[in-house]
Amino acid sequence: MSSRANQSALLIAVAALAVIAIVLFRPPAGAPSGSASPTGGASATASSSTAASASAEELRPVRLLLGFQPDVQFAPFYLAQQAGYFRDAGLEVTIEYSDDVLRLVADGQAELGVADATDVMIGRTSGIPIKYVATLYEHFPVALIGSPDAVPDDPSGLAGMRIGTPGRFGSSWHALVALLDAGGLTPDDVTIREYPQFNQVEGLLNGDVDLITGFLANEPLRLQAQGFETELLTVDHFAPLPGPGLVAGDGLLASDPDLVNAVASAVVQAQEEIGRDPQRGVDAAVTEVPAIGEDRATATAVLEATIDAWDPPVSGGVVRDVWDAGYQTLRRLGFIDGSVPVEDMYDLRVMGIVDPL
Amino acid sequence: MDATRMKRIAAGLVSLATFLVLWKLLTVATGTPSYILPAPEVVGERAARAIGSGILWEHLWATLSEVVLGFSLGAAAAVFVGVALGKSVVIERVLSPYIVAAQAVPVLALAPLLDIWFGGGLFARVLVVALIVFFPIAIATMVGIRSADPRLREMLRSLGASPAQVTTQLEIPSALPVIFGGLRVGVTLSVIGAVVAEWAGASVGLGVLINIADQGLFDTPLMFVALAALAVIGLAFYSLVVFVERQLVHPT
Repeated sequence: MSSRANQSALLIAVAALAVIAIVLFRPPAGAPSGSASPTGGASATASSSTAASASAEELRPVRLLLGFQPDVQFAPFYLAQQAGYFRDAGLEVTIEYSDDVLRLVADGQAELGVADATDVMIGRTSGIPIKYVATLYEHFPVALIGSPDAVPDDPSGLAGMRIGTPGRFGSSWHALVALLDAGGLTPDDVTIREYPQFNQVEGLLNGDVDLITGFLANEPLRLQAQGFETELLTVDHFAPLPGPGLVAGDGLLASDPDLVNAVASAVVQAQEEIGRDPQRGVDAAVTEVPAIGEDRATATAVLEATIDAWDPPVSGGVVRDVWDAGYQTLRRLGFIDGSVPVEDMYDLRVMGIVDPL
Repeated sequence: MDATRMKRIAAGLVSLATFLVLWKLLTVATGTPSYILPAPEVVGERAARAIGSGILWEHLWATLSEVVLGFSLGAAAAVFVGVALGKSVVIERVLSPYIVAAQAVPVLALAPLLDIWFGGGLFARVLVVALIVFFPIAIATMVGIRSADPRLREMLRSLGASPAQVTTQLEIPSALPVIFGGLRVGVTLSVIGAVVAEWAGASVGLGVLINIADQGLFDTPLMFVALAALAVIGLAFYSLVVFVERQLVHPT
C-alpha cells in the first residue's frame, strides 16, 4: 500500500516538474517570445477623433502623468489647465503623478507623460513602445554641485573625488557617467556614494562627499538656503544630453497624433507665458497646490531656475543635434546597444525640430 | 524516501506548477505586454541570463550577508532582552515603552537616518535588519518565558536551583515553541529589512537591483527575477528555522 502511494506521489511530482519546465522555459528559437516589440503593441485608448475639432460638449478625456509629486516646476501644466488651454483644444485633462511614466503611457493607461529623454532612449531600446514628442527642457537639468573650490573646471578634474548620487539609474546617473566619460574617466575613478532617498544634500553638508548630482532647480537652491556657496559643473558644455520632455505611446501616435499635438501645444503656450511672467506660473502652482504658497519666495526661485533650463523662447521642437550626441554617448557608455535607431525614439511630426543656432 | 515525504514534495511541486500555469494564463488572456507583466518563460530566460552574467550572484550575495548578519544580531539581542523582560516586571515597565515606540516608527523612515549616522556601510544595513526582526522575537521570548509552568518553577526553587538554572533548565526550554514562532516571523521580516536598508543607501543588493531594473533599465523581467530571489531567500531561511525548531522542540 505504502509502495503504491509512494509511486502515485512520485508520478504527480514528475508531472508537476514537467509542467513547471514547460511553463518556465522558453520554447526553442523561432517560437513567439511574448515580449513586446519596440515598434508596436501598445494598447492605445485614443479614439480616432481629432482633439482640435471636438466641441465643448465632447471634451476628450486625457490622463497626463507628471513625475513623482506636485511641484512648481510643473507650472506650465497647471497654467494650461487653469487658463483653459487644454479645454480650448477639446481636452479634459486630468493631471496625475507617477514614478513609472514610461510603462504606463506605453501601455495606454495614460495618454501622455513627462520623462527624461535619456530614459526614453533606454526604455525604447528595452522594448517599451514610447516616443519623445516635445522638448520641455532645452538644457539637461542635472549638474554636479559642490563648493567653488571643490568643483573642477573640467571633468578630468573629477578623478579621485567622492560623489553622492541617488543611485545608478535615472538622469542623475546618466549625467554623472557622461561627465566622467567626457573627462576620460569611469565610475571606478571616483568614489560613488549612493543616496536613494535623495538626501545627498545632507551628505554634502556633512562632508561625506565632495560633490553631488542634483537638479539645477533644486539642490543648489537648498544648499544656498543653508548658506552653502555652490558651483556647478553642467553637462551641456562637455557631454550634451537631451532634456526631459513629453512622451506618448506608439499606439496613440498612430491613432490620434492630433491629440498629442494639442496637449503639447497647450503646454508650450503656457511655458512661453510663464517664461515672460514667472509669477503667473507661481500663481498657477499655488492654485493647484496651496502648500507651495507657504514659501512663495522659494517657489519663485525654483521656477526661475527651471525657466533657465527651459531656455525660452521654447518651441517644443526636438533638438536633433543634442539627441544625436546624447544617443552616441549613451551607446558608448553601454546604456543602449544601438539596436533601435535614434530616429525611432522621437516623433518629429508633433512639434518639429529645433535647429542649432 | 517514505510516502509522506514524497507526498509533501509532490504537493509543493503541484502548487508551484499551478501558480506558474495561472500566471501564464493571465498573461495570455489579458495580452499584457511584457514590460507590464512578463510571462513566466520570459522571467525564466531573464533569470538564466542574470545568473550567467553573474549580476544576480553579486546582488544576491550582498542581500544574503545583510539578512544573515542582521537576523543573527537582532535575534540574539531580542532573545536576551526578551528573557529580561519576561523575568522582571520592572525591566519590562522601563523598557517596554521604548521598544514599542521604536516598533511604531517605520523602519522605512529610520533607515536613511541610520545610513547617515553610520556612514552608509554594511553595518548600517545590518542594523536596519536587526531592528526590524527585534520586536517580534523579543515579545515572543517574553511571552514564552512567562508561560513556564509556575509549579515546576516553584519545584526547582525548592530543590535549590539558582535563578540562572531556573531560566536555562525550565523557562527557556518551555518557551522554545513560542520563541520559534517569533523567529519564524522575524526571519521573513529580515528580508524586507535588507531591501529597506538597501533602498536607504547601498550600491549592491537585490533592493538595488530592483531599483536599477525598474528605473535604470526598464527591465521588468529582471525586477521579477530579483523579487523571486528575495522570495527564495525568505523561503529558505524560514525552512531553516522550521528545521531547527523540529530538531530542538520536537526531536524524533
